Amino acid sequence: MAAVVLSKVGKKYPNGFHAIPAVDLDIKDGEFIVLVGPSGCGKSTLLRMVAGLETITNGELSINGTRMNDREPADRDIAMVFQSYALYPHMTVAGNMGYGLKNRGVDKESIEKKVNEVAKMLDLTHLLERKPKQLSGGQRQRVAMGRAMVRDPQVFLFDEPLSNLDAKLRVQMRVEIRQLQRKLGTTTLYVTHDQVEAMTLADRLVVLNQGHAEQIGSPLELYERPATPFVAAFIGSPAMNLFSATLDSNNLILGENESVLLKTQHEFNGPVTWGIRPEHLVVCEQDADFKMRVKAVESLGAETLIYGAIDGVNQDLVLRLSGPHQPEINSEIGLKAPQDKWHLFDANTQQRLP
Amino acid sequence: MTVTFPHKTLPWLLVAPQLLVTLVFFLWPAGQAIEQAFYQEDAFGLSREFVAFENFIELLQDPYYYNSIGVTLVFSMAVAVSGLSIALVLATMADRIIRGQMVYQTLLIWPYAVAPALAGVLWWILFDPAQGPIALWLEYMGIEWDHFVNGGDAMVLVVIAATWKQISYNFLFFLAGLQAIPRSLIEAAAIDGAGPVRRFWDIVFPLLSPTAFFLLVMNIVYAFFETFGVIDATTAGGPGQSTKILVYKVYEDGFVGLDLGGSAAQSVILMMIVGLMTVVQFRFIERRVQY
Amino acid sequence: MIENRPWLTFISHSVLILGIIAVALPIWVAIVASTHPAEAFGQGSVPLWFGNYATETWQTVLFSAAGNGVDVPVWKMMFNSLVMAIAIAFGKIAISLISAYAIVFFRFPFRSLCFWLIFMTLMLPVEVRILPTYEVVAKLNLLNSYTGLALPLIASATATFLFRQAFMAMPGELVEAARMDGAGPVRFFFDILLPLTRTNIAALFVILFIYGWNQYLWPLLITTDDAYYTLVMSIKRMVSVADGAIEWNSIMATTILAMLPPVAVVIGMQKMFVKGLVDSEK
Repeated sequence: MAAVVLSKVGKKYPNGFHAIPAVDLDIKDGEFIVLVGPSGCGKSTLLRMVAGLETITNGELSINGTRMNDREPADRDIAMVFQSYALYPHMTVAGNMGYGLKNRGVDKESIEKKVNEVAKMLDLTHLLERKPKQLSGGQRQRVAMGRAMVRDPQVFLFDEPLSNLDAKLRVQMRVEIRQLQRKLGTTTLYVTHDQVEAMTLADRLVVLNQGHAEQIGSPLELYERPATPFVAAFIGSPAMNLFSATLDSNNLILGENESVLLKTQHEFNGPVTWGIRPEHLVVCEQDADFKMRVKAVESLGAETLIYGAIDGVNQDLVLRLSGPHQPEINSEIGLKAPQDKWHLFDANTQQRLP
Repeated sequence: MTVTFPHKTLPWLLVAPQLLVTLVFFLWPAGQAIEQAFYQEDAFGLSREFVAFENFIELLQDPYYYNSIGVTLVFSMAVAVSGLSIALVLATMADRIIRGQMVYQTLLIWPYAVAPALAGVLWWILFDPAQGPIALWLEYMGIEWDHFVNGGDAMVLVVIAATWKQISYNFLFFLAGLQAIPRSLIEAAAIDGAGPVRRFWDIVFPLLSPTAFFLLVMNIVYAFFETFGVIDATTAGGPGQSTKILVYKVYEDGFVGLDLGGSAAQSVILMMIVGLMTVVQFRFIERRVQY
Repeated sequence: MIENRPWLTFISHSVLILGIIAVALPIWVAIVASTHPAEAFGQGSVPLWFGNYATETWQTVLFSAAGNGVDVPVWKMMFNSLVMAIAIAFGKIAISLISAYAIVFFRFPFRSLCFWLIFMTLMLPVEVRILPTYEVVAKLNLLNSYTGLALPLIASATATFLFRQAFMAMPGELVEAARMDGAGPVRFFFDILLPLTRTNIAALFVILFIYGWNQYLWPLLITTDDAYYTLVMSIKRMVSVADGAIEWNSIMATTILAMLPPVAVVIGMQKMFVKGLVDSEK
């Protein structure tokens, strides 16, 4: 088990493109870290740099205090689960799982013992003699995990391991991965673009945007106090309602002709981004902060999503209510935005206002 | 991008055998041919003289060389056209058949494995003027046949032998091409009221044209360079010059005539022809992939 | 087919059967010819029905001498052909596999130059540079040897391209997984690459075996010692004897024996053969 430290780790391609400027990350022993972000944000590159499949062009990576920058992937004592699983098609499940140990010169009996042990843990024992072709998607996924586990590595790396599974299986495997990681206590770095997966799995999340770590923190921290509008929009589904607004002498001004004014107490004056989550808006008949004109309704049974706009404000907004509701299209709903649920960001620096 | 191994010496060791064989047995001889083409040497290799382009000029003034070019063109066109059309008919018929297709395929493709020289000898005996059953039958029908005397007869014989061997190759590619045409297209045409013959010309034939063009190039390459055995084992270029294709002339002038400079000059020209054909082939393959 | 017109199906079958008969005609005559004594030829038509001299012809040809000036038995030449065909097929595959491996999985100086040098062999078939190649082999003292028969023919741009293509089509994550599992270049080659290109190799082997077996001009030039004669080229020596003295029965028996192995390969491994043919033209 190991602590992984990235200090100012970056990647610059020969053509001059700076994919990742400099990332600092301190992963504690046994922690489950999820790298999350939209496609192209550099999360896979960062993971592959830890794996040793991409060279680190600046900064330092250390595992358990040892510098790893120039070590071969096989010598870093890590294991990786690939998006496509990358199972060797000509080897049996047992062969796939034991290949890494075989290359390390482990004797046959030990390999067999270890493979059987892991297979039992993953419920693969009856499949050991099958070829990958003869397995279902979920089983393949499990074999890929088994292959990583037999080596008892210091660190697990996962590169979008669930993206090739159907929705139902994905939820099931998500739970299984989390349980296994708890049980083994192995430090884990996990890449995904799916924020639900990220929230449910992680001890701590790293939200990446264009190679920068926008925020690092626990799922709830990120949900409750997003550091930037990017994180605010990325975490949570449906996404947070974000509006360009102005703070001016204790008024929050929305829309062009000062059509909406919200009273507040704030030292800051100037342009801001104001956010409120769809689930934090409150419906009220009187004393509404503003009115929303209904454009579309999605009834999901347990909850209802109502899409609409505020008259005079050039931006749509979403309201999330529990249980079934059926407002008429084009009708108006009065809404209140409780101040303790506000998120305010400086529009220039994109940083959260206290 | 593929993942690569960091290693300095190993890749060199790996390409070394291929490079060595290429350099020693391909590039060195080719270089020598080019060099030789600019020299004149006596038959015993005792003296040698730089003559610049004289070998080429001589060649281009040699009526036999033009004759050889003509023979090559006639021969290769005849082989390509007859081979392609017969194979296309057979493949179209085979494509219609559902049961027994594999049996027909097996019985039609085996001549691919017969060496050109053997194909030549097999057809020679059938056309042997003194005793060949086909030659005798032709005579009975009132057609004189003697490929040892009549140049035209000799050409027909080598064309038949060369085509016979090549039909299997064309057949396989045509059949594959036909089977790659989506059934739904044919069915759509049938619903539009096109009968089988019309469908062939309006739908199948245009869709098959990339395959046909590819095969045309391959057949010409085959006729140019791979039919040496057919010619050598049956007519040896004769009678006279009537079946002396370019490749045969290079060999004969060099090994029999011992005209080293002239043979080398011919080699150089042939290399340029192959180069051109390779380019055509590659250009075309890009298009075939897109199709 | 869309319409069920019996007469169309009938025509298809008839045309195909006609084609098969035309294609098989020479073989029929050859087999029949080999069952007659040499004296049966030269007067009137070649026999069109079996004689009773088959055992004699085949026995002589196979075990004592092929005749017509070739004094070695067919089985010996068959052995030579087999050695040449296997050496060429195996050699081409081996050196092409490793050079394609180097080109795809390593980065080294002059990598693309190497690639183009190999590519150039496509433009240089033996037939067009036959004399200087002969001279090179003579200089290296390789005339009348198995090495001389096979070695100059084993460079192969086609095979190198084919394997390069196959390697490049391999999923990148598979290669990465092998590296994470601690497989170095040699182990990766034998444990992962070779097993995964197995069918490509087999298909190519079929094509190259036929190519090697059917070599004609090259062995004709470099073998003057009949201990190294190959079966296909011996036919030329046999038909070159003075006119009228040709023993057609033994020539036909030898011809059939010479085409038997490659034809058997095509028929027996039809699937591999077709795959190889299509692969190598890509």
